[in-house]
Amino acid sequence: MSAFANILLGGVFHAAVLFLVAAGLQLVFGVQKIVNLACGSFYALGAYFGITFIGYATAFGLSPWLLLPGLLLAGLLLGFIGPPIERLLRPVYGRDESFQLLLTFALVLMFQDVIRFIWGSNPRSLDSTYLIYGKLGTGDFSVPVYNLLVIAAAIAAAGSLGAFLQRTNYGRLLRATAENRAMAEALGVDVRRIYSVVFTVGAMLGTVAGALIVPTAAASLDMAIEFVIEAFAVVVIGGLGSMRGALAGALIVGMIRAFSIVLYPELEVLATYAIVIGVLLLRPAGLFGKQPA
Amino acid sequence: MTALIETRHVSKAYGTFRALEDVSIGVHEHEVLSIVGPNGAGKTTLVNLLTGLTVPSAGEVFFMGRSIAGIGPTELADRGVARTFQLIQIFPKLTVGETIATAVISRQRKRWRMLSRLANDDAIESRVRAVAQAFGLADRLAARSETLSQGEKKLIDVASALALEPQVILLDEPTSGVSTADKHRIMRTLIAAARQAGVKAILLVEHDMDLVAAYSDRVIALAEGRVLANLPPTAFFADPTLIETVVGKRRTR
Amino acid sequence: MKVSAAALVAGIGIGALALLPALAPPYYASLMIPFFAYAIALLGFNLLFGYGGLLSFGHAMFLGFGAYGAAVMSGVLGVRHFEAVLVVVTLAAIVAALPIGFFCVRYVGIFFGMLTLAFGMLFHSFLFKFYHLTGGDSGMRVPRMKLVGLEFAPYNKIELLAGPFYYYCLALLVIAGLVMWRIVHSPFGLHLQAIRDNAQKAEYLGVHVRSMRLAAFVISAGFGAVGGVILGFRIGLADPELVYWTHSGHLVFMAVLGGFSNFFGPIVGALAFTLLQDQLQSLTQYWRFIMGAILAVLVIGFPNGIAGIVTDLRDQSARKNVP
Repeated sequence: MSAFANILLGGVFHAAVLFLVAAGLQLVFGVQKIVNLACGSFYALGAYFGITFIGYATAFGLSPWLLLPGLLLAGLLLGFIGPPIERLLRPVYGRDESFQLLLTFALVLMFQDVIRFIWGSNPRSLDSTYLIYGKLGTGDFSVPVYNLLVIAAAIAAAGSLGAFLQRTNYGRLLRATAENRAMAEALGVDVRRIYSVVFTVGAMLGTVAGALIVPTAAASLDMAIEFVIEAFAVVVIGGLGSMRGALAGALIVGMIRAFSIVLYPELEVLATYAIVIGVLLLRPAGLFGKQPA
Repeated sequence: MTALIETRHVSKAYGTFRALEDVSIGVHEHEVLSIVGPNGAGKTTLVNLLTGLTVPSAGEVFFMGRSIAGIGPTELADRGVARTFQLIQIFPKLTVGETIATAVISRQRKRWRMLSRLANDDAIESRVRAVAQAFGLADRLAARSETLSQGEKKLIDVASALALEPQVILLDEPTSGVSTADKHRIMRTLIAAARQAGVKAILLVEHDMDLVAAYSDRVIALAEGRVLANLPPTAFFADPTLIETVVGKRRTR
Repeated sequence: MKVSAAALVAGIGIGALALLPALAPPYYASLMIPFFAYAIALLGFNLLFGYGGLLSFGHAMFLGFGAYGAAVMSGVLGVRHFEAVLVVVTLAAIVAALPIGFFCVRYVGIFFGMLTLAFGMLFHSFLFKFYHLTGGDSGMRVPRMKLVGLEFAPYNKIELLAGPFYYYCLALLVIAGLVMWRIVHSPFGLHLQAIRDNAQKAEYLGVHVRSMRLAAFVISAGFGAVGGVILGFRIGLADPELVYWTHSGHLVFMAVLGGFSNFFGPIVGALAFTLLQDQLQSLTQYWRFIMGAILAVLVIGFPNGIAGIVTDLRDQSARKNVP
């Protein structure tokens, strides 16, 4: 029973991180109609940068208790690569989908070498500082409090994103631009600014997710592309463009990964790819999606 | 005279909204049949049913005696029904000749020929030239579709559909966006070209009552999902209440 | 493109390639073998992309299929004839591509791209994890084979690659080019392009969209496998990295670099990439960054690639000549 609970919480933890990146993807797609293949790269960059940031901060006397806020800060700071990247993507907004895919793909290639240049080819990890937050539970069933905090952070992010989009004026503005860019422009909305903001928020969600995961997993070069496939699985299951879909999809993918790691470890990575293929066959529009292919 | 396409007691509901209710109409040989009605009357739904795009909630749709409920555009084309849309559809990067050839290839069932040269196929080439000539596009065969004028694009759109040599063609507001001066000329060209291509019946969806009056053999008026009238134009236009329901108080330009 | 112009381009190209081993050191000749492999694989890729409008990010899986197929047939089963291996592996790739393609062509755009990426990485994982069968990281050996029944025993590997095998591959490229030229200029080819330009209208003109896309996918798989067999023979090894996503990315890059709207574009792209990569790799280990940057510049500024630049220049000079 406790083993089951362990797996469950592991799955939810993974889902929390997945949700953050998927939410970023959905936001960018919803408003700008761009699918950002480089989301995995943002994730990886966040992870590596998080490790470096904490390394320096600890050397300068950062208290171990501030690990979580430190990582959050690292992620948010790195998210500011968003605006320049968005400006780079501007030429292809109106063009055929293939060009958008190709351009974000070019970014992925470039980021791979950027990571290799700054941090080398070997995986990096943090030590077990995060255990300072302690563990909950006893005996067989125990979960690091850190993990729970991350889950809480993701829930908070989901809630605030939802509230922001539904209840604030700026959120309404975003949704209006998503529905009909031309009309929004005609009504005097500064669409370019909105695109820049949206893309940056999307990037930050990715970098923060990456930063938050490093206490529990190593940062590696493979991360970027493996994560793109997982994030894509989430978006496919949940439905392209839907926030609720991101939540549902993240939970499902997180759970399946958690269970397959325990039951048949060899298939862990295969499971993700199999999920994508399976969902696209059975329910192409996803759970909450509007658009089939 | 048996109907080429017919619907028998066809109804279509989308959820609780009943788009069509007990519609029975037939399209016969040698006729131009116009379907008119205000927006939301169910014209699009009826047209989609007549062209096998949707499945009726009740009733049946037949083409040449076989059911065409939900068969889809490709099967429809293979069976002999062509359709054009109000919004012009072209193949931007293909030339006029290639666009027509696409339809001719389907018609001559040569689509799976992978190793023979298209350019060497005389049967296809001569058909393409003939169709282009009928539409006055013979000197534009090598022009890429995206470089054509709006009028030419409209022509190639319909020309390619007719190159299928369909038994029936459905023209959805074929003169929309065309200036009043040209409307009649375009309609006459289209109908003549259709007849030349061997089309046996033409279905016209139109808002322009002048065209309906001038070219239809029969007019079917829809309102709120039901058939309001199924009359020859003289009878139809003699009834002012009918006109009003279909068009509204103002008489058309 | 008029036949005579294309024939001229092809003739010059083949001629230059035929003379290369006589004029350049063996290193360059053997460097060109991957070019031949990629050029053939790209002819297939571009049927799907340039002519069919479907951008695959998993095409390298067929390269891998070819290489591993060669390893299995000649390494494990002891078949020594290159031709036999080519034919069998190509047919096997076509058969294997049927179910994959069946699933993938139900989607277009992003979804198609991601599905092909997923299938490619699935294959990669499979090759990695089931190392008892596939040798995992270390790959599988591809031994020397007889070319047109000849052993070429006195030649060492480099001499073989720079000599007889070079011309063998050139011949394969010419044959592959002729076949693909026929395909794209056939009724099937036109229907495929119609699908690319406007799938909905194509349907109404009687084009069988899904089955034609599947056919294009399967044909491209066959061409990819041929390229893979050549690669496997050249390296002497089939390894999982052949199938990794970045390798698919290289293929996409080559097509875009050369110009995917043009029949010869991908071949030019393969050549440019092979030479570029060779030069870049000797300069820096971060050549992927430069490649990514070049791809970005291409997409933003020169979407029609090298072939596009060449045809633009030609059109400009033609316009100048008109009085």
